[in-house]
Amino acid sequence: MFFGHPVNVARYDQQKHSIFEKIIEKQISFFWRPEEVDVSKDRVDFQKLSESEKHIFISNLKYQTLLDSIQGRSPNIAFLPIISLPELETWVETWSFFETIHSRSYTHILRNLFTDPSQIFEDIVVNQEIKKRATDISKYYDDLIFATQLWQTLGEGTHQVNGETHEINMYQLKKKLYLCMCSVNALEAIRFYVSFACTFAFAERELMEGNSKIIRLIARDENLHLTSTQHILNLWRNGKDDPEMAEIAKECEQESKDIFLTAVEQEKQWAAYLFQHGSMIGLNQEILCQYVEYIANNRMEAIGLGSPFAVSGNPLPWMNNYLSSDNVQVAPQESEISSYLVGQIDSEVDSSEFDDFDL
Amino acid sequence: MIVVKSHGEFRQQTRKTILESLEVNNLEVHTSCREGFCGACRTKLNKGSVKYITEPLAYFEDDEILPCCCVATSDIEIELS
Ligand code: FES
Ligand SMILES: [Fe+2]
Ligand SMILES: [Fe+2]
Repeated sequence: MFFGHPVNVARYDQQKHSIFEKIIEKQISFFWRPEEVDVSKDRVDFQKLSESEKHIFISNLKYQTLLDSIQGRSPNIAFLPIISLPELETWVETWSFFETIHSRSYTHILRNLFTDPSQIFEDIVVNQEIKKRATDISKYYDDLIFATQLWQTLGEGTHQVNGETHEINMYQLKKKLYLCMCSVNALEAIRFYVSFACTFAFAERELMEGNSKIIRLIARDENLHLTSTQHILNLWRNGKDDPEMAEIAKECEQESKDIFLTAVEQEKQWAAYLFQHGSMIGLNQEILCQYVEYIANNRMEAIGLGSPFAVSGNPLPWMNNYLSSDNVQVAPQESEISSYLVGQIDSEVDSSEFDDFDL
Repeated sequence: MIVVKSHGEFRQQTRKTILESLEVNNLEVHTSCREGFCGACRTKLNKGSVKYITEPLAYFEDDEILPCCCVATSDIEIELS
């Protein structure tokens, strides 16, 4: 999938891993535009929230904005130069495109809540709590991007850059790629869920429903994204792609576990930060932390890393109403999403409708 | 029949997926998308065969099924995680 012959003519008739083509089709079928979701009622709801709830709501939006900014850009920069499979290349492009939709939707939400949202955006890059996580997430991307650039310009070997020595060889590059993929999976499969839970907890109280509708669409996309990186990781691990990657997967098992465990730890800290001024109805720090562990078990298990946490049942069963894709269009407290109505033509014609016709 | 290891036997309901057939009996299965693309419902299949009514996109091993998008085509035995 990576580091093979460079992709040449974009032909999709001979596919090594056709699953990515299917995922692309699925993703395209999910296409949506933030502007189609009416968020205007949220403005009134927002004014009714307590100060601690406003803090929870806005902090989450900031964090999500940052995560999606990273995801909108980094897979393209980090993966495209080293991908050697046309269908995977197109998947990464499709995936990134949807991340830009996510980013646009945060602007849509914030513009509705604030006459001038610039202050919110500006705080994202100075907020310590957010910065801490961002560094951890971008670390693996940066590492891979930097090594790839050295490899592309100077080739394998020992290189001096700014007084630092860098050992570049294919094995190291692949290892960086492997760890980066793990960190991307942890990001999309775990990190988002603390924020998702808060959003849907508001929706359970029939508050901020426009926002919740958008997040539901985002969550559906994310479910697909995490599936794609699980496929990549499992293809490697099971030796169904590059045999060297199977070795690396084994060698890096502990390191990849740690990536997930760190993500879990940081998300728990994030929950503590969110609830520092008080929790919200239906959700508190403890149960949210259990939920993170529950999600992490499922995700780690899916890529052969075992399930390290003791939780078994889902501590927030109502979350599934929002994550299930048949509920995306017809949800519990649903108004409606206009996109699904526009352009819909009633094609059923009953013969009785011609009764008045005389020829 | 759907035998769920250490939970008993359940009937495969007509026009329902394995997941729905189990839920009718208040059995908790991990789920999320319910449409075969997230992998949350991965379940071990010990015996029997299934047919997918929606093409599964999520990753699962050869001895596993995604109960949210398939029906049993024989008696089966599964193991909930
Ligand atoms: S619930 Fe998502 S694959 Fe079954
Ligand atoms: Fe996203
Ligand atoms: Fe994503």
